Amino acid sequence: MGEFEVHRVRFFGLVPAGVRCLACQPRGSRLALARTDGAVEVYNFAANYYQEKVIPGHEARTVESLCWATGDRLFGAGLNGDITEYDLSRLSAARGADGGGGPIWSMAANGTGTQLAIGCEDGSVKIFQVIPGGIQFERNLDRRKGRVLCLSWHPSDTHIVAGSIDVFRVIDVTSGQTVQRIMVNYHVEKVKRECVVWAIALLSRGTVVTADSFGRVQFWDWQQGTLAESHTVSTSAVLSLAVAEKEDSIVVGTSTGATYQLQLLPVKLGGSEKRWVRTKPFQHHSHDVRAVAHSPTALISGGLDAQLVIRPLMEKVQKKGYDTVLRKFTFPHRRLVSCARKARLLLFQFSQHLELWRLGSTRETGKDGEVLPLCRMPEHLVQLKSKGPEHIYCSCVSPCGTWLGYSTASRFHLYRVRCDGVSLRKVPKVPKLLLPAYQLQFSADSNSLFVASTRGSVHVLQLLEPGGCKHLHTLRPPSGCSEAVYLLAPSADGHWLAAVSGDWAIHVYNLKSFKHHCVVPTYSCAVSALAIHPSTNNLVIAYSDQQLVEFSIPEQQYTAWSRTVQRRGLHRCWLERDTPITHITFNPKNPSHILLHDTYLFCVLDKSLPLPDDSTPLMNQSTLKQLPETARKRQLHAFKICKKFQPLLFADLLDENSLVVVERPIMDFKTQLPLPVQQKKFGT
Amino acid sequence: MVSARALRVVRCGGGALSGARAVFSADSKYLLCASGDFVKVYSVTTEETLRLMGGHADLVTGIQLNPHNHMQLYSSSLDGSIKLWDFMDGIPIKTFTVGCKLLALYTLASAEDSVFVVIPKKGERDTFQLVSVKLTKGAGQDLEAKELSVVLDGVGASAKQIAFGREGEYVASVKEVNLQVYFFKRKLLNRFSLRAVKTKGGDNQFSCVACHPTEDCIATGHADGKIRLWRNFHHKKEYTYSALHWHHDIVMDLAFSMEGTRLLSGGVESVLVQWHNESSCQKDFLPRLGSPIEYISMSSDGALCCTLHTDNRITIINSNLRFSRSIQGLIKSRDVKTGLVVDPRTKALVMNGEPGHLQFYCLQSDQQLFSLDIVQRQYIHEAGLKQSDLVKVAFSAQGTWLATVEEREEVTDPELELKLWFYEEETQSFKLNTRINTPHDNHITDMCFRDMGELEDDSLILVTTGRDCVFKVWVMVEDTDPEAQQSVSWSCDFVGSYHNYQATNCCFSEDGSLLAVSFEETVTVWDSVTWDLKCMFCHPPGNIRNICFGRLTCSKYLIGATDYGFLCCWNLLTCALEWSAHLNIVVLQPDPLSEHIAAVSWLSKESSLFVFKPNEPRPIYIQRNLCKEKILLAAFVPRDEPETTGSEKYLWLRRSQLFFLTDTQELMTLSTKPLEERLTPSSKQLAVEESLPVTPFSLLLGKHRRQQSQEDIDLGKLVVHNKHEQASPAVKELLHTPAHVLPSASFLCPIFINSLLISKENKSTEEVADEVEMESEKTEDDSDEERDVTEMEQEDTSHMELLGEMTCKLSKSQEKELRKIRKMDYSWISAF
Repeated sequence: MGEFEVHRVRFFGLVPAGVRCLACQPRGSRLALARTDGAVEVYNFAANYYQEKVIPGHEARTVESLCWATGDRLFGAGLNGDITEYDLSRLSAARGADGGGGPIWSMAANGTGTQLAIGCEDGSVKIFQVIPGGIQFERNLDRRKGRVLCLSWHPSDTHIVAGSIDVFRVIDVTSGQTVQRIMVNYHVEKVKRECVVWAIALLSRGTVVTADSFGRVQFWDWQQGTLAESHTVSTSAVLSLAVAEKEDSIVVGTSTGATYQLQLLPVKLGGSEKRWVRTKPFQHHSHDVRAVAHSPTALISGGLDAQLVIRPLMEKVQKKGYDTVLRKFTFPHRRLVSCARKARLLLFQFSQHLELWRLGSTRETGKDGEVLPLCRMPEHLVQLKSKGPEHIYCSCVSPCGTWLGYSTASRFHLYRVRCDGVSLRKVPKVPKLLLPAYQLQFSADSNSLFVASTRGSVHVLQLLEPGGCKHLHTLRPPSGCSEAVYLLAPSADGHWLAAVSGDWAIHVYNLKSFKHHCVVPTYSCAVSALAIHPSTNNLVIAYSDQQLVEFSIPEQQYTAWSRTVQRRGLHRCWLERDTPITHITFNPKNPSHILLHDTYLFCVLDKSLPLPDDSTPLMNQSTLKQLPETARKRQLHAFKICKKFQPLLFADLLDENSLVVVERPIMDFKTQLPLPVQQKKFGT
Repeated sequence: MVSARALRVVRCGGGALSGARAVFSADSKYLLCASGDFVKVYSVTTEETLRLMGGHADLVTGIQLNPHNHMQLYSSSLDGSIKLWDFMDGIPIKTFTVGCKLLALYTLASAEDSVFVVIPKKGERDTFQLVSVKLTKGAGQDLEAKELSVVLDGVGASAKQIAFGREGEYVASVKEVNLQVYFFKRKLLNRFSLRAVKTKGGDNQFSCVACHPTEDCIATGHADGKIRLWRNFHHKKEYTYSALHWHHDIVMDLAFSMEGTRLLSGGVESVLVQWHNESSCQKDFLPRLGSPIEYISMSSDGALCCTLHTDNRITIINSNLRFSRSIQGLIKSRDVKTGLVVDPRTKALVMNGEPGHLQFYCLQSDQQLFSLDIVQRQYIHEAGLKQSDLVKVAFSAQGTWLATVEEREEVTDPELELKLWFYEEETQSFKLNTRINTPHDNHITDMCFRDMGELEDDSLILVTTGRDCVFKVWVMVEDTDPEAQQSVSWSCDFVGSYHNYQATNCCFSEDGSLLAVSFEETVTVWDSVTWDLKCMFCHPPGNIRNICFGRLTCSKYLIGATDYGFLCCWNLLTCALEWSAHLNIVVLQPDPLSEHIAAVSWLSKESSLFVFKPNEPRPIYIQRNLCKEKILLAAFVPRDEPETTGSEKYLWLRRSQLFFLTDTQELMTLSTKPLEERLTPSSKQLAVEESLPVTPFSLLLGKHRRQQSQEDIDLGKLVVHNKHEQASPAVKELLHTPAHVLPSASFLCPIFINSLLISKENKSTEEVADEVEMESEKTEDDSDEERDVTEMEQEDTSHMELLGEMTCKLSKSQEKELRKIRKMDYSWISAF
């Protein structure tokens, strides 16, 4: 697979924020996720759970609850007391409306998605009407003391249940009156602690399901106010609850990191009596599971350990495929690292600051697998804090290492890096652009900067010495586009630029004439990475369903190799991988090599070798090593995979024979998290 | 009158109780257990063994109450037969021969005349199938049951791996990582399998299964200690299960309560866990049950539960999870290293019990007297953990001192401890007197006290022999330390060795003047006063395995057995070999009260017993093929009073009784008496009335009856009652003697009639006559009962003996009567 000198970087101290809430799009295939830092992400189930959209957070905006309304409008509410609608095509928080009841703890949309109910700190439940272009306050429901921590609508929209501390209420929506007020602890004697109802659900047959801080999941009759069943699922609090659409299954998340499924099962075969039974426990998280969701075929949970776990329900899926495997996502599906190849600098993007590092170097050489002693240690050059409360959308360092840029929701900053990266100088008079920028990319000669913007447009800025810039041109797709561009790939010779927008169309522009060149035939899946080959100008595209395509820009058609790949199909193991390819690069020494990586593997794709079929093992590097030279020849195939570096956040080729990989070992990042709930483990 | 009586091998305790789950009778008064080839009936209230039902020729593998008659019991055995018993009377009613090994038995109330058994599949090794056997309704006692229909294939061999569900609608079977559920009505078979790979210490192998009595729920136990509750198993895909996890090792058995609200589980932790209804995580524990739980069974009224343990203990537990009582006979220990020792004080057998404990087992009542904690350390169950265990025990002649040796099972450097215990009269128990760490540098091979009962205390000497090539003599010394609580302690007095050979055995002569110590191939004889080496004997090749001195008139002889299969007798006066015999002796045991020595040989898979006197090379008694199992240990237990009715041939059994322990830890003895006599009279009959549950109706009826009897007394028919009492022994004898040992009817008729003639009450005679008829029906069955007893002589003679004994019991006046009757002419009866 070729030998490289590898810079194994472990000083990227990324700590992804914990998952705060989840919302499944009703009758849709999208999942909205809010993190504790206020970032909102949208995952697309249809595209192999690809993290399709990311809206970075804001210091003042926390998201306590998310919900979808009228099909595909996403609303969030938080402790700042506002209800925010998110613009998913511009990837920004759009309109906001004041809840008017202090911090908002919970929000729920009704069955048709036309009304939103919010639960506030002051104990009020308010109803908002979803109107085109925003929301409108409709009315207040009965206000009682105690913050409303959770809300649920009856499927017929007639009633709302609201859970608060020690108590939950059933409210009639039409009259606005509380029809039932139930103490969740009335039957337990002498309780000292207060019992927090963390999550609630109202089922169509009138059963109220509550999850409380005593670790119980309880089933109540809303009319009589009696306790029907009580399941103590955990010794610590149950924090979240989600009901399947058919109301025969419930998933709950606890503060010990375990999730449980409860199922409505018949007591006897053919009998009508049914009972809720706690069935499957899953322990995928190490910390609080603050959010759960129940899709028709999977249990989805998100925890404070920043993991999103999608656990398929095997009995609900008909055939085995990508959906039937447990998926865990910890790291974002995009690059947070950029690399200045010539200057050997790495730029790390955090939510509110950037770090610029210089790689260490060595003079020694060694055999395969040896660790070389460093003659110069890696150096932390600059930490650049972003100004204002907004989080960073994107950042980039130029290949020569002298330019550095980042963008937040409302600002775009460009810096000149001087004196070997020791000082930064802000470039004045940056042209006013339509912000935010979703992706920044410097050209290979560091003479121009490409800024991905909304409505499918790309701005081209010319960088001027000693420190200035000028807006050259704005590239727009000829047919128009509503979605923002999220990926850019310039060619090495400065001729071409490929841009991917949110509708997954790939447009190729000619940079010499600033003209639209062509469109790559659309494919029904999100593009996760793309790059233009430096010598052949072939565009290599990786889709989130793990397909690989090579498109010749000059000839405006797929290459022969790409057609062969499509005809033969990729290896099954390749298609069933967990995470999408996040970066593609090329080896100038060997033009037939394509270097790709995802979170768990690094792969050198050799186009000159035959493709593997399903009968041969995909990961064969270790077996190859043991074979004699002649036998090895016969066993070779195109995919040369290395799984040594995990989890891999970034890999790039510095020069012909040195490689930089950025790892974030899970243990390093787990130690940064707060301590989990203490649990006694047997045998310790 | 007393002729040579047959000597029979009688099992009197031990054995494996763990063949099958125990069964409570319908009224929860009796507990039925499979024990080896027998079915034992225990009283739940008194813990007594009431009945031993034998008849199977091999291990009993399953017992179940007849669902249509709660007074009857089905039992299955490896001998391929199913027997139907009346367990109240201990009578086999029917025997169904299936013809292949039966490994488990299940009954169903809904299955009219069939039972379910597990049999090995023909032509395939280690595959088993569950079949239903149609029990034909024939007239005879021995019936063929050949109508088999396969229900499930590929089931496990253990009875715990199959369970029948709610109302017999389905059957669940587990094997390895697969669960099979077969629905009888729908003829639907669902298979579910778990992942076979072991991950994170998890092992999904199934170990046992139980079905909820009222709901569609199956509980399965697993090798990693998890319990899974399966539901919705009607669907091939949408089945689901939840897991309960407390056990850290394999779940040995599971049982649901009768209503299904509670689930009991047990395993090697010897803790019974009670899981309340699954919605709450609540569970209760009953810890410290002593040994791993093998089986759990519930009584049908739900009031009691019983756990069978791997060491043969039975624990009965109340429904509120309180320990109620325990039935413990001979505790099965992993390895009886101490040998069989007789406690001179209680005449109890003493050997290893629970780990680190010494059990005192009462032979008369088949019960454990008490368990003495020797090691005094917490027993921790963990695979591969080296535990301290008791290896040697010796009592002084009067039973006042007890010496114990414990060692940790280390191969290279054993951790040894010698403890001396003094019997305290006040507390009636042994108290630790001296503890000696590392008495020898290597394993202790033998230990004995100087047996001089009549002499004073200070002559008490303990000798230990070790593999460190020495023997050590320990004596009591006055304790000079004023702070010491006791006046004496033990210390080493003399260390002897011989050519650096390992010392293997030691033995004192009867008068205590000589000590014989064997060093590998050589036996050395030492003066016990001066500790001079007197002489030595050798019979190469082969190491000395056992030595003992002769007793009483034969005290000049020393007997030794060697590895190469020689039994040698040396004369101590001439220092020469008196005689030797080629026998592979395993056990050599002298009778302390006579000059007889018992030797057990093991040759070609059978144990043979030889009893001889050292002065004659010819054994006085030979019993070949004593039993199938290997006999490991033997002991003579002195009788409380010498047996008077011993024939010449069995004189050696007059004063002591010989007990054997086999490798299956079954205790056996030799008996001259018929089986009937061994049972205590109280256990002979179980009143049927007693066993019926108390209902309001029965209370009313009982009141009425009592009144009636009161009236009878009031009427003052004392004379009649007197007569009745007089006649009753003869009638009783007649009724309770097995038919095949009774003399001819013409002989008995006069006695019987005579005993009744005086009576004037017509009603009572009719009743008795009825009973006689009933008895005669049953008598045939009685004959089967004795099959387990290996008869040593011809059947005829035993009949004669029995007759003699029976008549012997008659009182003098009755004998006179008999003689009178004999003279009378009853030939007129034959005319009818």
